[in-house]
Formats: sequence, C-alpha cells, structure tokens
Amino acid sequence: MFFGLFSIYPVLNALYLSFFQKHLLSTAAPRFIGFGNYQYLFQSPTFWNALTVTGIFTGGTFAMLVGLSLVLALFISSRKRFQRFLQLAFFSPAVVSTVVAAAIWLLIFDPRGIANQLVNTLAGTPGVDRRWLVAPGMLQLATMFVYVWKYVGYFTIIFIAGISSIPRSLVEAARVDGASVWQTFWKVTFPLLKPTTLLVSVVAMIQCLRTFSTQYLFSQAGSPRGPIDVITLNVYHTAVRTFQIGRASALSIILFAIMLFLSWLQFRVARSEEVSYL
Amino acid sequence: MATVAVWLVLGVMLVYILGPLVFMVTASLMPAMEVTRIPYRWIPQSFHWQNFWQAIRGNDGRFFFVRNMVNSLFLATAITLSTVVLSTITGYGLAKFRFRGRKAVMLLIVATMMIPFQVVMIPLYIIATSLGMQNSYAGLVVPFLVNAFGVFLMRQYLLTFPDEILDAARIDGASEVQILWRVVFPSSWPAIATLAILTFRSQWDNLIWPLLIAQSREMQTIPLYITLFAEEKFTDEGAMMATAVLASLPMVLLFFGLSRYFVGGARLFSAQKG
Repeated sequence: MFFGLFSIYPVLNALYLSFFQKHLLSTAAPRFIGFGNYQYLFQSPTFWNALTVTGIFTGGTFAMLVGLSLVLALFISSRKRFQRFLQLAFFSPAVVSTVVAAAIWLLIFDPRGIANQLVNTLAGTPGVDRRWLVAPGMLQLATMFVYVWKYVGYFTIIFIAGISSIPRSLVEAARVDGASVWQTFWKVTFPLLKPTTLLVSVVAMIQCLRTFSTQYLFSQAGSPRGPIDVITLNVYHTAVRTFQIGRASALSIILFAIMLFLSWLQFRVARSEEVSYL
Repeated sequence: MATVAVWLVLGVMLVYILGPLVFMVTASLMPAMEVTRIPYRWIPQSFHWQNFWQAIRGNDGRFFFVRNMVNSLFLATAITLSTVVLSTITGYGLAKFRFRGRKAVMLLIVATMMIPFQVVMIPLYIIATSLGMQNSYAGLVVPFLVNAFGVFLMRQYLLTFPDEILDAARIDGASEVQILWRVVFPSSWPAIATLAILTFRSQWDNLIWPLLIAQSREMQTIPLYITLFAEEKFTDEGAMMATAVLASLPMVLLFFGLSRYFVGGARLFSAQKG
C-alpha cells in the first residue's frame, strides 16, 4: 500500500504530468500537449547544457571515485598495521552532511583560500587566483573534488570487504608460482573482484547522477549556474523558480531513463564474463 | 621501496580527506580575517568563541538555528523510528510467511528501490501541496515513513533467522505480536542499528525535499539553515564553519558511539550482492 502510494504512483504521475503543460500556481486544468514538453526540451539549449554538464560531472567523478577507492582498498588491505585507523579516517567525511561538505569546500576554494595557496606553493607561483568558483572548467572540477572527498571512503570500504572475501590461498599461490604483484593483481585479484566492482560502479554512478546539494550551494553562493547546472538542479529550478511542473516532470523522467539505461548497460557488460573462484 | 610509495599515496589521500575536516574545526575558532589569511594558520592563535554565538544567533538575531536544529533532530528521529519499525514488521512478514502475491510484493519493493527520489519529488510535491502539507511536519515526514531499501534489508536479514526459535515461542503460547516484540526485534539488533544509522544520516542530509516543502523559516531544517547562512553576503566565514561544526555534532556523536554499524552499512550492502 505504502509503496504504491508514495513510489509507484508518483512515477506514473510524473510520466503523466510530463505530457501536460501545467503552471504550478495556476488553478487551470493542465493542458494536454502530448510530447510537447519533450519537444521543447530537445530544442532547448539549457536542456542540452544540463545533459552535457551532468555527463561531465558523472564521468569525471565516477572515474575518480571508482579508481581511487579501488587503489585505496588495495593499499589498505596490503597493510598489516593501521588498517582500522585508515578505514575510519577515509570514511570520516561521512559524518558531515553534503551541505556542510559543500560549505567547507566553498571556503577552501575562496580566492584567498587554501586551494589557491596549495596550488601556488606547488607550482611556485605566489598570488595567482585559479578562479575555482568562477571559471567553468575549474568550477566543474571543484564540485567533483567535493563529491569524491565525501564518498571515496564509502566505496573503499565496500572494496575492502570484497577483497577480504577473496581466498588468500589464491593470491599466495600466484605469488609462489612467480607472478609479480602487478600480474597477481590483474590476473587474480581484479577478475575475482568483479562483482564488487560492478556493485560499486552501479551505486557510484547513480549516486553521481543524483548530486544536488553541492551544485545548489555553490550556485546560491554566487558561482555561475551554467557550468554546474546538473539535471537535478535544473529540475528544481524549472519546477520552483519558473513553475513549469510538466516540463520538470519530463526532465526527471529523462533522468530516470538515463539511470536505468546505464545500470542495464553495466549489468550487461558484467554478465558477459561470469566469475567463479575455481 | 614499494612500501614507501604505498604510504606516500595513502599519506596524500589522508591529507585530502582529513585536511578539510581539520580546516572546518580550526576555522570555526578564528575571526574571519584569520580564515582567509595567506598563508593559512592551521593552529588558531586565539579562540574566537563568538563564532558559535553568531552561528546560533544568526545574522538577524532571531535564533532560527535552534528551531531548525530541533526540527532536524525531530524529523530524523521520527523517520528513523518509523522506518525501523515498519521495515522490520514488513520484512518479517515477507521473510517468514507464505501468502499469495508474496513474490509480486517483493518484486515491487526491489523495483521501488531503483527509483531515485529526484524522479518522484515533483509529483510528491504536488500531492503534498494539494493536501495542504506545505510548511508542516506532516509534509516533511510522510514521504519517508518507510523505504523499500529498509524492507529489503530487514527481509534479507530475517531470512537467516532460525524458524525453530519462532516455533518454540509459538508452542510456548506467544502471540505473533509478542514474538515480533520479544523475539524478532531484540535479536535483529545489528541490522536494525545499521538501518537506523543509514536512515538517520540520509535524513540529516536531506536538502532537496525540505527546500521544496518548507518555505517558512520556522519549519526549515539544518541543511537549509546552512545554505541560507552561506548565501548571506555579510556572513562571517568563521561563523559559517562554527555552524558547520554544530550541524555535524549529532553525526559525530553517532559515529563515535556506533562506528561499527556505520562501516557495517557499507559491508552489508556488499554482502547481500556477493
């Protein structure tokens, strides 16, 4: 009952609404316009911008998240000491909410903030402003850093659990047979880690597509919205600032379709090679 | 040599992860001038406690922080309680009883898990508005009273619960309600704690729904308070970090008290796939 009411019905309703032109505040009955909302969207540069921006953000963040968390998990599992400390340390950003995370990084990326100081110290160029919150490319990079910072520990722990479920004897056997660390990883550990990798990539990807808080806070604090106008932010603005409910619904349906498609694609790719421990 | 490289990478990552947290705490104790000082001083010269007063008082001196904090705590607690109770009951039913349509219900629940909130929020918003739920606790709480993931989690956990114990309780004359209350709840503690933390955290984090539904400042929550605070041009940077510290306190307490279950959440998630 409850699910029917609060999950299934809204989805259908969103689909239904996406075919109408409806103004949030008007009491006039919604007007049926068929695929009009979709047509409008496909012709609107804002929509294509949102799509591109979401693609850039998801692609970049996804690659960094999966890559970094895999490397961290491998490194941490190979340590004999401090394992628990390292896990908790990398997981610690989980205690701050996404909004707080965005607020912290907002100050770090301040023209006089630590990010500029660090880059300038490393590059030996004192006093240069890298325009983290203004230049489009830098702004996108900045939101990615916030997101990776917040979630990398979470995926690291999932990977560590996956690695610890691989029988040690297999890895040791490979080493005894004279395989290098590098070979052992690519021929033994990585293939056996496939289910975990699949899980992490599906979850991470959906997580990235759903990002909202960071982009919202950054744009509210004065950054240009264009380069970080991800679909979710665009849905919010379309619905709440311009009151185009039908159009916002069409947008969220498109977002859902993208998520479904990408998850399906990943499962397909993964299924082509089944894993076994034998 | 290899060990050095590994530690180097781990060290750089540690700085990246822990640096901003240290920055939050130290900056919360500095006057604004110090926060943007070049180079940044990682150890505060003096403790500028006024920041915390400023954070609680707000720029307009109307103490919305207190009200919003209470709102957030209340909402997250209410939603967590209801999620845990309803998920356990539903999960128990699905795990231990055979009835017609059970498979269909399971399928529905798994399908629901896939639907992100951003897809349903606009219709939910319209429903809530037409029911007159804007700016009310009902509007903030009702959409989250139970979630599919919770039911799924509890079902998976209870599947492994031995039937013999339940039968023994039945033979001893316990009613189903008593069994649920006396047997199932107490022995599901690890799964319940994990679910409770996950739910509490996601609610503590929730920005987008309160943003839609709560326009009046009395009804807003901490994430909204922080965004508004950050927007105000004359906000003191130190005070902003003080707000951030205060807003993180409940999670920090939970984290230190129950870090086992925090980390357990991620583990459990991977285990059910395995």
